[in-house]
Amino acid sequence: MATDKKDNHWKEDFPVYQLESTQVSRRDFAKFLCLVSGGLAVGSGYVAIKANFFPPDKMVGEHFVCKKHELPVGGTRSFVINGSTIPYILIRMENDEFRAYEQKCTHLSCAVFYKPGSGKIECPCHNGLFDAFTGEVLAGPPPRPLPRLTVVIKGEEVYVKDFKPDNDKPDPNRQSRS
Amino acid sequence: MSNFREAQNQAHPNKTNTLMLALIMILILNVSIQVWLLYTALNNALEKNTDIAFPSFIASSILFLIGFGWLYFLPSGPRVTK
Repeated sequence: MATDKKDNHWKEDFPVYQLESTQVSRRDFAKFLCLVSGGLAVGSGYVAIKANFFPPDKMVGEHFVCKKHELPVGGTRSFVINGSTIPYILIRMENDEFRAYEQKCTHLSCAVFYKPGSGKIECPCHNGLFDAFTGEVLAGPPPRPLPRLTVVIKGEEVYVKDFKPDNDKPDPNRQSRS
Repeated sequence: MSNFREAQNQAHPNKTNTLMLALIMILILNVSIQVWLLYTALNNALEKNTDIAFPSFIASSILFLIGFGWLYFLPSGPRVTK
């Protein structure tokens, strides 16, 4: 055969038998588990350092979104803040209040949308439901409320700014929802 | 001078299976606890409860060190004579 004439000395340079390369011994498995363990410890360290020393930047100042008349009652408008890539959603509720939330579901970052007339924000990926008035989770897998922005109305113009719970005054006209 | 591993292999040559099983089970248990710690720390950090992150990191590091030290008792398997 033609292959017999080839120089087969390369096999001496790579003395790995097929059996050794395909089978994983329990010894190797235990070492691999230890490697995974080290990776998880490093990951925990990264989370701890990022959370304590490098918190996410807060939104500074107020940002113009749109004119009030551009958004019909029950309508929504997607927007991004200049210098950021985070998508937000502005909702004009049925009682003429405005709400603004991050448009990424807190479960797996799918885009959420407002269901007009229901007072609920829905994530279509896994049927997560959020309260459109507060951003709290009502149902489904999302572990956290939707991050919220404070909406400021100045005449006909709608602005958003960083959310502070003190700004959230209870609305006397708000109806209780079952 | 022989170490623990050599003495163990000579005195109890049939016990490597048990030892290996115990070792792997404890490593899997450690890794499971570490996954839970990381999940909890991450979820709390995203919810702006950062107090849990460092205790979780310390616990995770201790579990890793336990698993790493545990490897000393790994049976060496049959000696291959060349």
